[in-house]
Amino acid sequence: MNIAVLVKWVPEPQGTPTLGPDHLLVREGADGALDPGDEYGLERALQLVERDGGEVTVVSMGPEVAVAAVQRGLAMGADRGVLVTDDTVRGADTLVTARVLAAAIRPIGADLVVAAVESTDGYTGTLPVTVAELLGLPSVTFATSLDIVDGSHVRAERQTAAGAEVVSSPLPALVTVTTGVAEPRYPSLKGVMAAKSKPLDRPSLADLGLAADDVRPSQTVASVEAAPLKAGGRVIEAGPETAAEIADLLAEARVI
Amino acid sequence: MWIWADVSPEGVASSALELLTKARAIGKDVGAVALGPGASGAVDQLGEHGAARVYTSDDQRFAEPTSRVAAHTLGALVAEHSTGVVLFPSSYRGRDVAGRLQAITGSTLMANAVDLPSIDRARAEILGGTTIVEVDLAGPAPHLVLMRPRSFEPEAVGGTADVVPVDVVEPPGGAAVVQVLERTEAASDGPTLEGAKVVLAGGRGLGGPDGFRLLQELGDAIGDTAIGASRAAVDAGWVPYAMQIGQTGSTVKPEVYIAAGISGALQHAVGMKGSRRIVAITKDREAPILQLADVGVVGDLFQVLPALTEEVRRRTGR
Amino acid sequence: MAVALAWRRASPRIATLRAARPDDPERGGPITERAARELVEVVGQRKLFQRLMPGMMHAAIFWGFVVLLPTIAEAAVAVVDRGAHLPLIGDSTWFAWLVDLFAVAVLAGVIIAISIRKVQRPDRFRGSHLEEADRILLMITAIVISLLLWQATRIALGLTDAEGPVSGWIAGFLDGASTGALEAAERVLVWAHLLLVLAFLVYLPGSKHLHIVTAAPNVWLRKSGPGGRLEPLRIDLEASEEDLRLGAAVATDLTRKQTLDLFSCTECGRCQDVCPAWATGKPLSPKLLVMDLRDHVAGTAGPVGEVELQPLVPNAVTDEVVWDCVTCGACVRECPVDIEHVDTIVDLRRNLVMAESRFPSEAGALLRGVEGPGENPWGQPASARMDWADGLDVRVLAPGDAAPDVLFWVGCAGAFDERAREATRSTVRLLQAAGVDVAVLGQRESCTGDPARRMGHEFLFQTLAERNVSTLNDAGVTTIVASCAHCFNTLANEYPDYGGTYEVVHHSEFLARLVREGGLHPSRDSVAVTYHDACYLGRHNGNYDSPRDVLRATTDEIAEMPRNRERSFCCGAGGARFWMEEGGDARINDTRYAEAASTGADVVATACPFCLVMLDDASGAAGQGPEVADVATLLARSALRDG
Repeated sequence: MNIAVLVKWVPEPQGTPTLGPDHLLVREGADGALDPGDEYGLERALQLVERDGGEVTVVSMGPEVAVAAVQRGLAMGADRGVLVTDDTVRGADTLVTARVLAAAIRPIGADLVVAAVESTDGYTGTLPVTVAELLGLPSVTFATSLDIVDGSHVRAERQTAAGAEVVSSPLPALVTVTTGVAEPRYPSLKGVMAAKSKPLDRPSLADLGLAADDVRPSQTVASVEAAPLKAGGRVIEAGPETAAEIADLLAEARVI
Repeated sequence: MWIWADVSPEGVASSALELLTKARAIGKDVGAVALGPGASGAVDQLGEHGAARVYTSDDQRFAEPTSRVAAHTLGALVAEHSTGVVLFPSSYRGRDVAGRLQAITGSTLMANAVDLPSIDRARAEILGGTTIVEVDLAGPAPHLVLMRPRSFEPEAVGGTADVVPVDVVEPPGGAAVVQVLERTEAASDGPTLEGAKVVLAGGRGLGGPDGFRLLQELGDAIGDTAIGASRAAVDAGWVPYAMQIGQTGSTVKPEVYIAAGISGALQHAVGMKGSRRIVAITKDREAPILQLADVGVVGDLFQVLPALTEEVRRRTGR
Repeated sequence: MAVALAWRRASPRIATLRAARPDDPERGGPITERAARELVEVVGQRKLFQRLMPGMMHAAIFWGFVVLLPTIAEAAVAVVDRGAHLPLIGDSTWFAWLVDLFAVAVLAGVIIAISIRKVQRPDRFRGSHLEEADRILLMITAIVISLLLWQATRIALGLTDAEGPVSGWIAGFLDGASTGALEAAERVLVWAHLLLVLAFLVYLPGSKHLHIVTAAPNVWLRKSGPGGRLEPLRIDLEASEEDLRLGAAVATDLTRKQTLDLFSCTECGRCQDVCPAWATGKPLSPKLLVMDLRDHVAGTAGPVGEVELQPLVPNAVTDEVVWDCVTCGACVRECPVDIEHVDTIVDLRRNLVMAESRFPSEAGALLRGVEGPGENPWGQPASARMDWADGLDVRVLAPGDAAPDVLFWVGCAGAFDERAREATRSTVRLLQAAGVDVAVLGQRESCTGDPARRMGHEFLFQTLAERNVSTLNDAGVTTIVASCAHCFNTLANEYPDYGGTYEVVHHSEFLARLVREGGLHPSRDSVAVTYHDACYLGRHNGNYDSPRDVLRATTDEIAEMPRNRERSFCCGAGGARFWMEEGGDARINDTRYAEAASTGADVVATACPFCLVMLDDASGAAGQGPEVADVATLLARSALRDG
């Protein structure tokens, strides 16, 4: 069972990311970490490989600091890492990123590609299925559980607008997972040390067969402004008058 | 300009009507793409809301979870009829189709948009809703734009649409079929989260599924209320995902939104900050939601909620 | 023959000790310090007297044992030649008196011991092997009585002129007996006495009474310096796998001292009595932990390599027991033979965390927060580190600035927790009011690493310590004031191991000094205040008075809780437990808060932000009771005319 997991390095997951003067997200130099959302899918992939045998490869695209995300994946137990880091793709939009990631995944020959539903900083939520289409794979998104059956099919429970459904897809396939899919392990120090000797490839765009035209972004940020703040709120301590105050607000809004 | 309409045997999603309203404001010749069971039943409504043309097929294959066939069919349509922009809702289906279409057509895709000033420019909220950017869209047509829900109010303008039947287009080499083995519908009577006048949402502070009963009682007392939840409560397994409000989950804009035991991290705030009035009850003085609320109450929700329920009952005689 | 037998029984123990890891030879401190400890604790039985009755009981038996030791030699000699005596002391009246009096003392001690065990039945014996103790007491009694009787027969036979009061008195009863009978009795008794002693010797290595051999060395090897300092475990990621030590996984990973600890335990249960976890219904008892480890380690005795070493956790002790510990050190303080339970527990945690990644999942947030970009256990962004100072004019030390007279180390709790921020603000305002040249590191401050270290993530701690020391040294800092007892302990006692030596003063001590020297002018009211001794300031570092000095300047009415000063009952946050969920019958903080409330005080004063938050949580849960406030806040109210 060969599983590829898409991971992303995001700046300060708990803080608010900032835009630089070129209107792009500040990534280099900022403190960051492996996107917490990616750990769930990676954990599940590791569990499946521990059970059925096989290999997990973590794949990422980003500036040089993003190698920390790949290393964390290796420390958690992934077998190999791939990082595409090239100045040309700085400021890449989702199409460029998808092309790069698809090109990086193709040589792996993965049976299953796993990604988070969306990244914590960009949350477009469409990149994984774009990758799936470029690779010609079926996809299952918003999976809350993920299992491989008979080594040939993936079985997942997924969220839908109406509720939930259980689906089955033949492999190879791509699955995006929510946070409920597994409890990520904390890498042990032994894992961190072992990570250093695991293979970490750094293919160039040329290695991946991508030309300049393939990676030209088609979006530019024209302007940036702060969203209007909500004004006029007040914070009160709960007390005997609280129920009446809230009921007054409900009355004023004409819902009671 | 085209819009993607989410359709089902139950009807057409209100997102389609919102998108049509917006599309009409930009251009006169608006097309709607409705693929899947229930599409033909949606044509009238789509026409009433401004679609000049509806590209439609009721084929079962379009209901498949993987959306590959839908994306390729839409790709073929776009190649045949040409359009500058396709607007998508930020729904499960919308994201899947748009994401795949991007790979097929090589177009640019703008997500989390809240407005479209023109065909080549989108407006989006990023960084958890704290920043607004305007983005120029370039590259081959059509530009793909995913709109956040409830960005516009749907407006019926009358009119009928021409119906253009569509054939299923498979991807070259065929597409693997993703089968649905079983379906569970979240049972709900009463208004949906999107439709209710009042939304009561519970989070980690409720301590468990039982805490939601307090919200239910309050909801019954107020009336026209739906119950929602933060991701923390859903992840903990206390309530089904259908109740989740936030970045992943529903976006709601009720008249009044009452959050109990919710910290209000950005992921959740994005789904409810459009509410007209926000009340938050939490014992965490530091909770970000208190900054969002019109009235933030620091206290024990297990005391405040029943007291409030009682007060509402007293006033409404329920 | 008996000696050979005893040796046979003892050799597995000895082999285990030799197979254990060597300790840092400097660990016990300079020879003078160690000798002083031996004198005070072993000869003087100081720790035993922490409980008066049991202390007297044991001192009587111990001193008696020491004094009676030569009589064994005398008996051994007399077995061969019944008229023989030991040189100098044998056949001397003063020695006979000494022997008799101490023999009686021993018997008195045994009677007290029996009444404690059989009549009073204290709870601390729960889980101990009481039958073993009974056997030992029986043997002691038999040995002493046989000694007295033997001496009496010798006197009656005229073999010795030295008459002690008791043996002489007994001899009086033997006047009428025939010489033949007396001679026979003397032989019987001397042999009986000797055989009893030898049997005791053989019994020793396999029983908990081995402590009479191991206790003195154990005291000798005890860690010198403040109890709050953990010995560093240097981790070099470049090292090879075999050289890497990541804590105690199996029996041979324990150090010699740790192993000797296990063989020294007398199952007295004093530690169990004071453990906050045990007191609130958790499975952790320091005594049972030591006993379980001992049984496991003894079971693996024999040439190493023959026995497959099983992991200590969960085979000797369960994971839960290891994580229940708040590292308050009450057990270590009580132990009469200087067992260092906390160090062993942390070593077990080190292996669980670093090698196996096995720990309560909720603590993962703490580790991620500390190793993440924010470098704090709350997972807050570094940019928020100065939010507490809104509205205050606090100098933030930028790289290259001249070092301030005093660097105020805010700590993560003081920076990010809303309630703790009040204490931080009060401290800074007081320092400024007194004209102290004070600055903070601001965003350049990262967690001291204390929670990571107590949790067992020694590598993370090492990384933080090295980084903080580098920052402090580059800034030329010489004096640090810390308002958190944990930060204080780590900065003062543990950072020197990483190249950072500063004058570190707890804020209560600094503030007390300011008041004393007239830099601050508080006025006294009569609000009743009780002080909760912080474990990491009090028991671990010996400072019980600074916070009290500060309080005495603010109020006339100070009440003391029943468990105060070195007997203080932990708030429950230590050992990184602040970030873990608590089980058991009751919560440690609720229990302590109830104790504080029982004093009738209106305010509970704390000297550590963790104590503050834990007790404040408890006050919220209780619904009513005293207010909880840091000593700095109380002083600010008094000295700065705060509302």
